[in-house]
Amino acid sequence: MVYTRKNQSSLSRGERRRFVDAVLRLKRSGEYDEFVRTHIDLYVSDGEHRLRVAHMTPSFLPWHRRFLLDFERALRRVDADVTVPYWDWTKDRTPAASLWGEDLMGGTGRRGDRRVTTGPFARRNGWVIKEGITDGDFLTRDLGRPGDPLKLPTRQDVAWATAETVYDVSPWDSTSRRGFRNRLEGWTSATGDERWRNHNRVHRWVGGHMLGGASVNDPVFWLHHAFVDLLWSRWQRLRPDSAPYLPAKPPSAGDPQYRRIVARGEPMPPWRSTPQDMLGHEGVYRYAE
Amino acid sequence: MSSVRTVHRLRRRHLIAAAATAALGAVGAFRGLRGADEEEQPEAPGGPSFDETYRGRRIQGEPVIRGGEHGQGSWRVTVDGQPLGLMRRADGGYLSMVDHYQSYASPLAAARGAVDELGTHQALNGRLH
Repeated sequence: MVYTRKNQSSLSRGERRRFVDAVLRLKRSGEYDEFVRTHIDLYVSDGEHRLRVAHMTPSFLPWHRRFLLDFERALRRVDADVTVPYWDWTKDRTPAASLWGEDLMGGTGRRGDRRVTTGPFARRNGWVIKEGITDGDFLTRDLGRPGDPLKLPTRQDVAWATAETVYDVSPWDSTSRRGFRNRLEGWTSATGDERWRNHNRVHRWVGGHMLGGASVNDPVFWLHHAFVDLLWSRWQRLRPDSAPYLPAKPPSAGDPQYRRIVARGEPMPPWRSTPQDMLGHEGVYRYAE
Repeated sequence: MSSVRTVHRLRRRHLIAAAATAALGAVGAFRGLRGADEEEQPEAPGGPSFDETYRGRRIQGEPVIRGGEHGQGSWRVTVDGQPLGLMRRADGGYLSMVDHYQSYASPLAAARGAVDELGTHQALNGRLH
């Protein structure tokens, strides 16, 4: 049975509550923190000479698709009607959006320690950070970075990515000058406010935990990545003649990326799934757009 | 990096030898282009070691000779004595465990950036990666 991922802004009050309750149950069982650890452990930067599957790499999109599917499967074991909602940050652009309401994500962090104090993921309401990188055990955010304000990516930013007709290009990392993947992931060589685009810029805009290695501690991570996943689907629909994933073959022994990236048919640790396995989700879920 | 070191060594030898006027002239032109940094010792990738107070936090960093699990150019960086994990970027920069979404030009810049993000009340817990 194909299920539907909805825009978070269209969820009913009951749907919001059931999503939050399912997340809280995974947290209590310890499963949630396994997802946090997986994301930390698999983050390999592109200046490192080892395999990178999750970021700055062609498999950024299929790796996170699989990651979301695992999370959603865990949620649906708790409540079979729950799916991961998506956050369209080109539309819901301010800390006043209902996304940040007390019955969904809660609001921004307070001054000083950036502690989130409202909603289900506030420390005082029981959301304790166990897999963090600071001594605080509370979730942190700095929505919009008021000290040096920054805007969320726009429709034009998304269009800049989807205008690319090729999925990814050599050198297959954060310095790839063309290609849909790197433009959606959002690495640029720009300086100042323009250095972050699309996916990366959203992590920067939320700030706090979302900026660092332990970003999964903030449940908005899933809503953000569901929208990134939707944009990949949309690009595939828009570009039926483009190869849906590149590279098709692993780089050869003399290539600087040899054994550092995953080709279409190669497994993406920690799973045996390949990018090929993740190319279509029609039989599993759909997006209500 | 090695070619830069070679230039440094050659230049020093030239100066010590007080070589021909033509050679000194060439060195002078070269210095003019490169600026004052030229006088300093050749450095490890990422710049010199540092130990400073930034926004009330003590930040220290030094290159690690043995690459360790994160490969060449590794650094040991601490904020108030707690390790800050750094990774190399393909563009030559660094990212830190606190900020995974931008390149910092040097370990010092990454450490300062981490302090900026930690705010005034949070300390690192020592987790590297």
